[in-house]
Amino acid sequence: MKSLRLLFLTVLLLASCSTLPVIHPAAQQPEAKFPACPVCPSPFLKAPHRLVHIIEVRVAGKAQGAVIGVTLIHPSAQFVSCAIMTAEGITLFEAEATPGLKIIRALPPFDSRDFARNMIEDIKLIFLAPEGQVAVKGILADGAAICRWQTTSAEFVDVVAGPQETFEITRYAASGRRQRRIKLKHGADNFYQHIELTAQDAFDYSLLMTLVESEPVESEPQTNNRGLQDNEKKCGR
Amino acid sequence: MHKKLLILFFLLSFLLWPCIALADGFEQLRCNSADIKTVQARFVQKKSMKILAKPLISDGRFFYASPDSFRWEYLKPLRSVVLSGKGVTKRYIMSGGKMVEDKSGGVKAMGIVLGEITNWMSGKFDQNPSFKTALHEGRNTLITLTPVEQNMAGMIEKIEISVVRKTMVVKSVKIIEDKNTATVINFSNVEMNKGINASIFQDVE
Repeated sequence: MKSLRLLFLTVLLLASCSTLPVIHPAAQQPEAKFPACPVCPSPFLKAPHRLVHIIEVRVAGKAQGAVIGVTLIHPSAQFVSCAIMTAEGITLFEAEATPGLKIIRALPPFDSRDFARNMIEDIKLIFLAPEGQVAVKGILADGAAICRWQTTSAEFVDVVAGPQETFEITRYAASGRRQRRIKLKHGADNFYQHIELTAQDAFDYSLLMTLVESEPVESEPQTNNRGLQDNEKKCGR
Repeated sequence: MHKKLLILFFLLSFLLWPCIALADGFEQLRCNSADIKTVQARFVQKKSMKILAKPLISDGRFFYASPDSFRWEYLKPLRSVVLSGKGVTKRYIMSGGKMVEDKSGGVKAMGIVLGEITNWMSGKFDQNPSFKTALHEGRNTLITLTPVEQNMAGMIEKIEISVVRKTMVVKSVKIIEDKNTATVINFSNVEMNKGINASIFQDVE
C-alpha cells in the first residue's frame, strides 16, 4: 500500500514537472563542460545592499516607459524595501517586506496589493536565495550547472550558471508553468549590472534593469560578499 | 519742450503704474514676469528619501518659451525628455540607444507637474487654485505652496520656491512629499529672453 502511494506521488510529481527542463547528474555526463560543481550557482546577495536601477518596461517587445527603482535588501533578515520613482522624482510606489508586506505609498497604476506583492516577490527572486530546499542538482543538456529549488510554497526555482558570468533564474508554478525568467549579467562589481526579467502573467511583460549605483549597507555586520561571489564564479562555465 | 517731457512722463507713469502701485507680493512677481518671453537653465535634482542613504542626483536642462512651450530634459541617470506645447505633452525615454515615446500613461500627470514648475520659472506662482500660496521676504523671496485638495495633500505636503530677490529668477524648487521624502531642484545658468530655436520644443534628440 505504501509503495503504491509512493508510486502515485512520484507520478504526480513527474506530471507536475512535465515542462521543467531535464537535469542530468553531473557525474554521469563525461561531455560536461566543467567539473561537477560542489555548490549551487548562487548570484544572490549575502550582505545588506542598496541598489538603484533604471527600469525599462516592455510589453510585446516594445518600450512602454522607464522609471527609477531603489531596492534595499537585508538578506539575513529577509527584509526587502523598494521604491519606484519617475525621472522627475515623483515617488510612485514605496513598500517594504519585513517579511510582512507594508505599502508606504502607492499611486495609480501601482496601487493594487497584487502589484505590491508581485513586486516584492520579484525582488526576492532576483536578489535572495530561494526559500526552500535544493530538490535536484546537476547539469542541463548544454552542460550548464543547475540547481532546482522547491520553495516553501511548492513552486520550483531553477538557478543556472551560464557563460561569461551570466546567471539565469527561472520560477515555475507547482504545475510546471513558467512564471518568471531572470537573466543576470555580471558588471564591474556585482551580478546586477544588467537584469532582464520576463514575466508570464495575466499579461506578458519584461523589465530591463540597468544598474546606476550599488552600495553595501553598513547597518548590519558586513560579510565578505565579494569573496563569496568569487568562490561561486568557479561554478560557472 | 517742457510740455512734451510732461506728456512723456505721464505716459511712462501710466505704463509703469501697475508695477509701482502693486509693488508687493505676487502682483510684483507677476508684473516682473510679464516681460519674460523665454527662459533656459541647467538644473541638478536631488531626491531624498528614507530608503536612500544619500540623495539620488539627476542632471538636466530646461527651456521655456511664452506662452506655453517647454522642454524638460534629464541627461542622467535616466535620459528622458518631456516636450509640451499647444496643450500637447509628450515624454520620451532612451531605449536601446534611441529615444522612444513613453506610453506608460503617467505622461499627462507629469505634464501637469512640469507645467506648474514652468509657470513658476516664468513668474506665475499663484495661478493654480489647487495650492494656497504664501510669500516670505528675506535674502531671497520664498514662496510656499500648500495643497488645498485632499487628494493632492496625500502626494505633496508642500512646495517651496526660492526666488532671487534682485533678479526674480527662480533659484530652487523643493517639493516635500512627507517628512522623509523631498525633491530639490537647483537651477543654474539661468538665461532669460535669449533666443531659443523652435526645434528645441519639437525635436527629441
